Amino acid sequence: MPRSKILKSVVLFSLGVILVRLFFIQIIEHDTWVAKADEQHTLLETITARRGEIYMMNKGEPTAVVLNHTTYQIVIDPTVTEKEDAEEVIKTYAKDYQTADLNQVYDTEGLRYSIIAKNIPREIATKIAESGIPAIWLKKTNQRVYPEGELASGLLGFVNAEGKGQYGVEGSLNTVLAGKDGILKTTADVNKVALSIGNDNLKIPAEDGKNVVLSVDSGLERGIEELALKAIEDTVATNAAVLVMDPNTSKVIAMANLPNYNPENYTTVEDASVFLNYTLEVPYEPASICKSFTYSAAINEGVMTPDTTYFNNHVEYVDDWPIENASKHSFLYGNIDMRTALYWSLNTGSIHALKLLGGDTSSINQQGREKLFDYYYNKFRLGRITGIELYEAEGFIPDPNEGWGRDSTYANMTFGQNLSITMLQTATAFSAVVNGGVYRTPTIVEGTFENGELKKGTNVEVIEDKILSDETSATMRELLVHNRDYLVRAGVDRPGYAIGGKSGTAQVVKNGVYDDTYAELVGSYIGFVGPEGELPKYVIMVKMWGEGRSVGSDDALGLFGNVSNYIINYFKIKPRE
Amino acid sequence: MKTRKHKSDLVILFSTLGLMALGLIVIYAIGPMRANVLNSTYGTNYDSNYFFLGQLRSVVLSLVAFFVAFKWIPYQYIKKFAKPIMIIALAMSVLLWLLAVSGSSLAKCELGQCRWFNLGFVSFQPAEFLKLALVFYLADYLARKKEEGSIGKWKEFWLPLLIICGASLGLVVIAQGDLGTGVALIAIIFGTLLMSGIPMHQYLLMLLITITVAVGAVVVSPHRMERIDAWVATLSGGESSDSTYHVDNAMLAIGVGGFFGVGVGNSVQATGYLPESINDSVFAIMGETFGFVGLFLVIAVFAALLLRMLKVAEGTAKLDDRLLVVGVFSWTLAQVVVNIMAMTGLIPVTGITLPLLSYGGTSMVFIAFAIGLVLQLSCYTSREVIKENEDTSSRRGVGRTYHSSRRRRS
Repeated sequence: MPRSKILKSVVLFSLGVILVRLFFIQIIEHDTWVAKADEQHTLLETITARRGEIYMMNKGEPTAVVLNHTTYQIVIDPTVTEKEDAEEVIKTYAKDYQTADLNQVYDTEGLRYSIIAKNIPREIATKIAESGIPAIWLKKTNQRVYPEGELASGLLGFVNAEGKGQYGVEGSLNTVLAGKDGILKTTADVNKVALSIGNDNLKIPAEDGKNVVLSVDSGLERGIEELALKAIEDTVATNAAVLVMDPNTSKVIAMANLPNYNPENYTTVEDASVFLNYTLEVPYEPASICKSFTYSAAINEGVMTPDTTYFNNHVEYVDDWPIENASKHSFLYGNIDMRTALYWSLNTGSIHALKLLGGDTSSINQQGREKLFDYYYNKFRLGRITGIELYEAEGFIPDPNEGWGRDSTYANMTFGQNLSITMLQTATAFSAVVNGGVYRTPTIVEGTFENGELKKGTNVEVIEDKILSDETSATMRELLVHNRDYLVRAGVDRPGYAIGGKSGTAQVVKNGVYDDTYAELVGSYIGFVGPEGELPKYVIMVKMWGEGRSVGSDDALGLFGNVSNYIINYFKIKPRE
Repeated sequence: MKTRKHKSDLVILFSTLGLMALGLIVIYAIGPMRANVLNSTYGTNYDSNYFFLGQLRSVVLSLVAFFVAFKWIPYQYIKKFAKPIMIIALAMSVLLWLLAVSGSSLAKCELGQCRWFNLGFVSFQPAEFLKLALVFYLADYLARKKEEGSIGKWKEFWLPLLIICGASLGLVVIAQGDLGTGVALIAIIFGTLLMSGIPMHQYLLMLLITITVAVGAVVVSPHRMERIDAWVATLSGGESSDSTYHVDNAMLAIGVGGFFGVGVGNSVQATGYLPESINDSVFAIMGETFGFVGLFLVIAVFAALLLRMLKVAEGTAKLDDRLLVVGVFSWTLAQVVVNIMAMTGLIPVTGITLPLLSYGGTSMVFIAFAIGLVLQLSCYTSREVIKENEDTSSRRGVGRTYHSSRRRRS
């Protein structure tokens, strides 16, 4: 064979082998390689939705109390980024923001994208971007900022490291605030930069979260928190919760839980109970406050007036169980009227009202229990979810026909024990008592803030239920104002205003029974304030307590007085001329 | 037997020009991506047209070299200087080595391998010049020894040959760490040797010795063994690793191309996934861009170029002319086959450019010049294939007679 033929054979053979190989790779294995390429080239990225900000009202104008602050993270890939470059970036720009030890990052086998610094402000991030240091990536992140500091922390909650709202408004309204993340699916180059190549690129834009405006007035909230903190200082109480709402709209305008915490440093909080919003997440026994509800029921049923009398001997045996009055003044012994019984907060008085509901003044009966249950549960909606926009606890009202010791249970219920209800349920029911008899679902969201404008509205299904007659409500207002007559004389309540209220001191259940040593008591007070001769403008509820602390209703009453006067000044409520 | 000058081989002319144009198009499409990847990864500041303009400059220089070789410099003139040219080429490689050892900035090094002279405005790879010089030298040397009748003799033929070839290979493979050029040099040596008419048993023995030495060199070098391991892993479909990354991504690019390819400008592998996308791996990017159809055409063009070169060799009367053509043919064949086989996982990856297509100035200019000379010689072929000399180891006398008689007639 001529030798040039050998060379010719080499050409044809080797190129032939190559063509067969190419046919194999490009035609037969094509799909496999495309799948591998998709895996390698496709960049699936979440477009983070911007979290909505939280506003409060400030005398009618929305004002931001929770803001977003954009910060940046430095991300490196140890297999691409030179260690000297990473070190230089940290040393020159981001020393204060470093979060990872570079030696560790570079020594960890198989480590790819790693965050080495966090919370870098925009100005510094811009400098890093302009420095031209190669293979250093900046990742944008949102950080929650609370310009009002600890204000209303129990109400607002916080956002955790994963960006999820926890507790309070942040937690309850997380889906509204968080919005919906979008998706970006693109073909990307080796540095994860999206390319315009490829036709299955997909972009679902993020839906930003809504800015939520609360009906809470920030100025009032701040003032009330200061007063509550002072009350904690001045009394044995360690905690205080204050709820203020407009009884005519059931809008919450203050919701304070003291002590507060700093939502920016929520990780430093040791006791998670600090995160709770006691006004609606923790049911309790508001005690004698509930006498207002028992009285309302009996008056509304037409079986009782303030002038109805009964014989008070300071103790009532129900189911062979003695129920005593807290104040046993001898001048109250004998025939007294219901007005006086409420003024002195006599338990025998409210038990008498229950008997009147049953139509039998000698004992408590099924009809009485059922009537009281109907008012408590069906009309005042105590022990039930109110439907407010926030997380709330349900509580419990005992059934009138089931269980052991039903009569004594219901006797206790007339003065707010043996049940468990939240402050919000109590204040909403109390609003119905004083506003002319209309129960209205409470709300705390005023609307959303869009393009610099308040867009009113909330998605709560509002129940409006006329549960008491106008006359009943008027009578109750008169009784509640009468309760505070002495405070007008004492100069606590200013003349020209209609300020009424009812105190409550609850024993605490320890190991399943009421603690009769009174070593720990919870003091509560509920009341309303408005100009004399008009419907009340504000309902205020105060609760003060402390673990092992005997907090009396006088402590709560004192704080109520300060709050009601603060509200009169804050909203410049004019007295009746 | 003297043939009159006739038209040059149009297949060689147009396949060369066509490949250069294709290379330009591909670099035009992927150059900006390359610049982008380098800029974002290494903080460089390449303009998006940098690589296209670089390739354009190379193509213009190569066209000049090609036509100068084709039209202006008769090979008859060049071959008189075959020996000095070879000495200069070797001297340049020695100089580069010395500069590199002394750490001079005139030696341009990448990844620890110093293969370029850095002349500021331009860099120059002496190994490319060495390939051309070796072609000149071997064509002249072998033809001369053949004429003298000393071909195949140990002292007069093999010893000087081994020294020259050994020095060339040593400088390229060991001092410059350039295995790719080494493969091309070996191809040139064995291509021209085959056609020089040495006894077949000597040829086969030399081939065996060379293969043994090559295998030994691979086994003792951990770096080269790694490449072999990577290749075996690729062939057996094993786990991807850093060492298989290059060929994995080359095959991925080729595989994604499918039948018709993804189209010009749509290569994703060129955006940084495939190393050396504009140089050694340009074939894989073409596979992604133009698909099987495109690669088939590219290979067909190379096949046409190579086979026409062989045809020119067959039709060339003078042995030294013919050996020049065979040298250029072997050089081109080696680069094409080794490059493409590496990209398709048929052989281990070796840094070698794809002639006329890869980005890179020196390699294109020299191979263009070499092909230009082949084109020049294609003007002097005889229509009928020169039969004798194909296998003349036992007919030494005939060769001499043939040459002397031809010389007389001219």
